Amino acid sequence: MRLRRTDPHTLAGAYALDALGEADRENFERHLLRCEACRAEAASLRDAAGWLAEPATAAPPSRLRGQVLAEAARTRQQPPPVRVTERVRRSWHGIGWRAPRLAVAIAGVGMLLALALGTLLISTQHQLRVQEAHTGEIAAIMNAPDADIMTVHARTHGSATVVMSHAARALVLTTARLPALPSTKCYQVWLMGTHRIKSAGRLPPPKQGMTAPMIVAGLAAGDRMGVTVEPAAGSTSPSSTPVLMLALPAD
Amino acid sequence: MTAELPGERPRAAASSELAGLLAKVARGDEAAFAGVYDHFATVVYGLVRRVVRDPAQSEEVTQEVLLEVWRTASRFDPSEGSARSWLMTLAHRRAVDRVRSAQASAQREARAAVAAPDYDVVAEEVETRLDAQRVRRCLDALTELQRESVTLAYYGGYTYREVAALLGVAVGTVKTRMRDGLIRLRDCLGTDS
Repeated sequence: MRLRRTDPHTLAGAYALDALGEADRENFERHLLRCEACRAEAASLRDAAGWLAEPATAAPPSRLRGQVLAEAARTRQQPPPVRVTERVRRSWHGIGWRAPRLAVAIAGVGMLLALALGTLLISTQHQLRVQEAHTGEIAAIMNAPDADIMTVHARTHGSATVVMSHAARALVLTTARLPALPSTKCYQVWLMGTHRIKSAGRLPPPKQGMTAPMIVAGLAAGDRMGVTVEPAAGSTSPSSTPVLMLALPAD
Repeated sequence: MTAELPGERPRAAASSELAGLLAKVARGDEAAFAGVYDHFATVVYGLVRRVVRDPAQSEEVTQEVLLEVWRTASRFDPSEGSARSWLMTLAHRRAVDRVRSAQASAQREARAAVAAPDYDVVAEEVETRLDAQRVRRCLDALTELQRESVTLAYYGGYTYREVAALLGVAVGTVKTRMRDGLIRLRDCLGTDS
């Protein structure tokens, strides 16, 4: 069997038929993340493939119904996908942080933030100067002794990584691989408390699928952070179901 | 009540009805889940049986699929495709996972011998239901290589590389035949209703 690089577009049919091996499937799914037209095509071909089951219809043994319903009755259901799937807590003091240097700090946070910051730092000199003050604030939050690091997966696909400082009542947010939006839409970040919902601004446009770190300040106890799709100019209150939601830790 | 089969009603209605049932299932509605079973257990079991073949294993996989529907109904997102497509994707993936994990490659080669003429078996067994007839008619409209590529993958659970080996054609050819075949099938199903 020859191994060679393949044009991923042509794999849409095999993907819809579940006829890709694991490596091919993973490659193709990565491709789908970047290609909206391909996602639409893959969905329509999956739908078509699903109709192939019709000619195969056959009645299962009648006992199966009772078994399945009884098993369901004692099986816990999964919550809706808008939820925290991973929370990594670290005491930054506890691992001996001394010099609060940004470059050192981001190494501890992981590749996601590092890449996002890299995108930021390789911007032009002019932008860099403009952003220096901003970068300082980011470093302060990331170096805070009480920093919490959390990753939340989006309901669609992609994820957000948050570094939160309780003392500073602020967090740094980056996202990766959220679905691309048309120019008429944007992602908007919200702080949702029990008594109020306030906008924390729009996510910056992604570079290579990632958004530069964004500071969300003014956190209150019990706040959740949500991200919704809004018109490009932003909204005064959320107008769609959040694509991701993160309950911020309370201590 | 006796459940009507989805094929006895317009296809779009069956799928939007399933979407409604799934929304209730997501909230723990056991009666709605029984409705999903009554409407879709035959098509799920039939598909699983076609791919897995062994009746006992097919029953197990069918149960796994339906329990996955119960557990993950809240994950169904109408913006990503129809409810029917979501369900059939779950079913097909589970069935394919079962044959790929359970069987050594040697056994799978043996299975090829029975899978290859399977299209004829499918044709023989076609029921009078409208959806099945429509699907068959649309399959008939494919070229032979498109049809064999699509049905070996879907009913046989083979990867495109395995299909290429079975048919003795280039891997690239099989990929494009699968895609072209499904596009033709999709367009035929869409315009034929």
